Amino acid sequence: MTTTSVERRTALLGLLGKRVVQIPVVLLVVSILTFWLLQVVPGNPGRNALGQYATAAQVTAWNHDNGVDGSLVTQYLHWIGGFFVGDWGQSLVYSTPVRELVLERLGNSLLLGLYAFVIMVPVAIALGSAQAYREGKRSDRAITVGLLSLSAIPEFVVGVVLLLVFAVWLRVVPVQSAAGASGDFFDRLRVMTLPAVVLALGYLAVLTRMVRSGTSEAITSQFHRTAVIKGLSSATIVRRHVIRNALVPTLSVLGIYLGTLLGGSVIVETLFSYPGLGALMVTAADRKDVLLLESGVMITGAVSLLALLFTDICFVLMDPRIRFNARETN
Amino acid sequence: MTATIPRSAAPTAEKQGPVTDDAGERPSRIRSLLKRPSFVISVLIIVWWVVAALGWQIVGLEPYAKTGDLLASPDWAHPFGTDNLGRDMFARVVAGAGPALLVGPLGALLATVVGGTLGLVAGYYRGAVDTLMMRFFDVILALPSLIFLIVLVGAFGISTAALILIVGILFAPGIARIIRAATLVEMGKSYVTAAKLQGEKDSRILFRELLPNILPTLVIQATLSLAAAVFITASLSFLGLGEQPPSADWGLAINENRIYLQTAWWTVVFPAIGVASLVVAANLIADNIREVSR
Repeated sequence: MTTTSVERRTALLGLLGKRVVQIPVVLLVVSILTFWLLQVVPGNPGRNALGQYATAAQVTAWNHDNGVDGSLVTQYLHWIGGFFVGDWGQSLVYSTPVRELVLERLGNSLLLGLYAFVIMVPVAIALGSAQAYREGKRSDRAITVGLLSLSAIPEFVVGVVLLLVFAVWLRVVPVQSAAGASGDFFDRLRVMTLPAVVLALGYLAVLTRMVRSGTSEAITSQFHRTAVIKGLSSATIVRRHVIRNALVPTLSVLGIYLGTLLGGSVIVETLFSYPGLGALMVTAADRKDVLLLESGVMITGAVSLLALLFTDICFVLMDPRIRFNARETN
Repeated sequence: MTATIPRSAAPTAEKQGPVTDDAGERPSRIRSLLKRPSFVISVLIIVWWVVAALGWQIVGLEPYAKTGDLLASPDWAHPFGTDNLGRDMFARVVAGAGPALLVGPLGALLATVVGGTLGLVAGYYRGAVDTLMMRFFDVILALPSLIFLIVLVGAFGISTAALILIVGILFAPGIARIIRAATLVEMGKSYVTAAKLQGEKDSRILFRELLPNILPTLVIQATLSLAAAVFITASLSFLGLGEQPPSADWGLAINENRIYLQTAWWTVVFPAIGVASLVVAANLIADNIREVSR
C-alpha cells in the first residue's frame, strides 16, 4: 500500500512540475501574441480609442496616459507588468476598472459552465454506457446519428429552437437570461437552465462517444469475463471494473471542453443575453476595447490551462497505467 | 469538430500504396460516394444554395426593399413572412446564401494552401523551424477557438477580406499538423530516398513526389475545414462580428430578429433553417468523403 501511494505522489509531482513550468510559458506566449495582434496590427491605439475626430495632441496625450507611447517592448512591459500587479486598466466601453468587470463576468461564466457540466456528464455516461451494452443494435446507431447531427448544428440555431419551444410556447423559462445574475437561487437556476442545456448539447456527442468506446472496451475485455465467471453481481462488476475503465478516455475529452465551458461560451451567452465573460469579450472586440479584450483573453487562457491541469491530475488518480508508465520512463 | 480531425490522418496516410494503383481507385471512390443518399442529398442542398447565392438577382427578388406590412405572418405573397422593416423574408433567406458561401469556402481554401504548405515544409526539413512551428501551434490550439477568433477580429477588423484571412489563420495550424504527420509517414518510404539520391531538387520532391501522395489527406482536411469554416462564419455574423446590416446574412438575421421571437417566429426560424441545412450538408459531405477514402 505504501509503495503505491509513494509512486502516485511522485508521478503526480512530476506532472504538476511539468505543468507548473508549462502554464506560465504558454500564457507568456499568449500575452505577447495578443498584445501584438491587438495593439500593433491595428495601428495607433490612441487613434483607435478616440476616433478620427480627435486632434493629434489628444491622441499623443491618450497614448502617454495609457502607457502606449515609446518602443513596443516598453509598451508590452508596461502592460504585462500592470497585469501582474492587478492593474488591468480602465475599460473604454464601461468606464470601470477592467479587473472588476472581468472577474465578475468570469464568476457568471463559471457558474453557467459548471451547471452545463453537471447536466452533461451524467447524461453522457448514461447514454454512452447504454449504447455500449447494445452495440450494433438500431438504438445504438440512432443515438449516435441523433447526437452527431445535434452537434453539427450551430449552438445559436439549437438555442433558438429550444427558446421557441420552452420559452415562447410552453412558457416555462424566460426568453432572456439577463435577470439571472441576481435574484434568489431557484430564480437563477430557472433562468440558467436553458442556456446550460444548449451549452451541454454541443459537447454531448463527443463525450457520449468516448464513454461508449471506453465501456465497450471494458466489457469485451478479459478481466470483465473473469469477473463474470467469478460470479460477481452485475452491480459490483459495473462499479468495480467497468466504470473506471470507461471513464479514463472520457476524462481526456472533458479536459479540453471544461476550459471552453468555464471560459464562457460566446455564442450561448450572446443568444440568451447572459452576462458572462464570452459576451463581454464580443462587446470588447466590437467596440475595440483593447485592454478589456487582452485581460479577457489572458483569463480565459489561464482557465483553460488550469482545467487541463485539473483533468491531468484526475487522470493520474484514476488510471493506474499512467502511474506505472511514469515510473518506467523516469 | 476539432476532435474528429486527428483520427482521419493516420489510416489514409498509411493506406496509400504505390502511386500507380491510384488511378484505378479514384473512379470507384466517386461511384461509391454517389451510392450514398446522404452524400447526394447534401450535394443537392449545397448546389441549391450556390444557385440561390448567384441567381437571386436574376429572378428579381428584393431582399432590401419594403414590400409588405411589418412583421406580417407567412402568406401567399410572402411565403416566409416579413421582418420588422417589412422586407420579404423569403427573398432575404435566399439572398443570405451569398455571404454564407463567400467567407467560409475562401477561408478554408486559404487555410488548406497555407496549412498544407507549412505542414509539408515542416515535415520535410524537420529541425528547429519544425519544432518551433509545432510548439507555437500547440499554444494557439490551447486557446478556445472562438476566443482566438475574437482576438483576430480585434486585430484585423470585419471586412470580407479580413474575415477570409481570419478563417485562414484559424484553421491553418490544425491542417499543418496533420499534413506534417502524413509527410513524416511518407518520408520513411523508399521513393523519397530514391528521389533524394537521384539529386532531385527539394521543391520537386516536395510538390511532385510528396504532394500527390498526401493529396487524399489534404482533400479530407479541406472538406472538414470547409464545414467548420461555414459554421464559424455563421457564428461570427450571429455575434455581430461579420456581415453588417442591411446584409441578408443568416446569422445576422437570427441575431437581429431574436427579440421578435415571441411575436414573429418566422423571422428567426427560416434563417436558422438556412444555416442548419448548409452546415449539416457540408459536414455530411466531409464525413462521407472520409469514410469512402478509408
